[in-house]
Amino acid sequence: MATTEATVSRRTDPVSIPRGHLVRLAEMVGGGSIFLVILQSVLGFDLFDRDLWSSYGSIFVAGITRTLTYIALVLPLSVSVGFALGWVRVSRFRSLAWPATVYIEFFRGVPPLVIVIFVSILGPTLFPERFQSVELGLILGALAIGLHSGAFQGEIFRAGFQSVPRGQLEAALAIGMQPVPTMRYVVLPQALRLSLPPLSNEFAVLIKDTSLMAIIAGGDLFHLSQRFMDQSVLTGAGELHWLFIIWTAVAVVYFAMTFTVTRLMRLLERRVHARSLEGISI
Amino acid sequence: MIRVEGIHKHFGPLHVLRGITFEVPRGEALVIIGPSGSGKSTLLRCINLLVEPDEGKVFIDGVQVNRQDIRPEWARQQVGMVFQSFNLFTHLTVLENVALGPIRVKGVAREVAEEKAKQLLARVGLAAKALSYPAELSGGQQQRVAIARALAMDPKAILFDEPTSALDPEYIREVLDVMAALAQDGMTMVVVTHEMGFASNVAERILFMDAGVIVEEGRPEEIFGNPKHERTRAFVSKILR
Repeated sequence: MATTEATVSRRTDPVSIPRGHLVRLAEMVGGGSIFLVILQSVLGFDLFDRDLWSSYGSIFVAGITRTLTYIALVLPLSVSVGFALGWVRVSRFRSLAWPATVYIEFFRGVPPLVIVIFVSILGPTLFPERFQSVELGLILGALAIGLHSGAFQGEIFRAGFQSVPRGQLEAALAIGMQPVPTMRYVVLPQALRLSLPPLSNEFAVLIKDTSLMAIIAGGDLFHLSQRFMDQSVLTGAGELHWLFIIWTAVAVVYFAMTFTVTRLMRLLERRVHARSLEGISI
Repeated sequence: MIRVEGIHKHFGPLHVLRGITFEVPRGEALVIIGPSGSGKSTLLRCINLLVEPDEGKVFIDGVQVNRQDIRPEWARQQVGMVFQSFNLFTHLTVLENVALGPIRVKGVAREVAEEKAKQLLARVGLAAKALSYPAELSGGQQQRVAIARALAMDPKAILFDEPTSALDPEYIREVLDVMAALAQDGMTMVVVTHEMGFASNVAERILFMDAGVIVEEGRPEEIFGNPKHERTRAFVSKILR
């Protein structure tokens, strides 16, 4: 009966964050802090150098804000594109499958940097003159990163859809369900069981790929930090060890962002996980 | 209740159904027998339009359902189906499996649908398994849940596609008992099966199919005791041995 109660409580309260997660999060933050303290004592400089942060601090925050904006723009776009591509490649509309294949092969093969440069420069020229601006180029460049990631996510979704046995679809149709509810309530939950782990991977890559915006002066964390380094350390206005502080801080921010997203994905994984369908443990 | 007229179906070069015509009156339990590859499953799937017939007409309750202006979903709500491999939704509990159709197809409120699902589970003897997942059940239990799931849509008829062929021998009885009780209650049923005991005790009529045509039809005692066609005789002698 214990298992039954566990099921009931899980179902009535599906979005609460389990206590264990909070404990582990605290452990991570604590462990990370200790690591940084040790790092700075070994390197022999202060990570919280006042001189540096008084000039770099506001740039740092502005960069984080811009990077988060790019992520908020690109993540939903890439998932939508990936889902659509994956669905199309398994759909009964065969004629839609080959354009999806062309899309995927193109974006998988071409370096995202090249795509970002082309789209941000040439993209705005497709718009009427009064809309053309640097900002438009940046937005289009960011969207291009999403389209690129969407190609990879398309294959992840396709693998998930193809893992759902045909009988599941037939059973849903046989009780009179229409295609969209069948996807929503029968196919997708089962496909996600397979797709979520690689999707988390792709999200982590995507978050860090927003730093590609630096190549077109995107104003993101990576770009602003690099510019600050050029203007302070390399001109002699700042000290050489600032370089280590800046890039450590940047790395910590990217880590925190990817870690947050992949942890949220873990919660989602628990939701689509079906008891008794657990994999093997060797 | 169910009538098919001149059904043809091709899969590529294979001519699987070659002009099938028959009728199932309300409340009848009809059994279809025949060697594998004779088109029995395809015929069932044509009735609820999981497979679209190339030619011919399918009527449910007097309405032709394989027409452009009728959604196949409507036809499938009228006629339930039970599969050889159960096909329970693996990510849902037994209760959710049974209640999903009423909730998502008919728009029934969750509490109402789950209450009814519990009654149906009790009817197939599985009230205690409501919160289990399919993978935690035996094959026989899964198939009984599948029957409850079909019943939850209040179908006018149920199609059974070899419902006991994938079961271990010890679980066949419990599924056949549920089906026999359904027939007793007057459910219109079309059953593809190799269970000759069920066919002779429960079926009112038997169709023998071979190579995409209905070779012979008759009462169970005629088909098993005194088949008219050579092909029927050969098949019956093989399975009754």
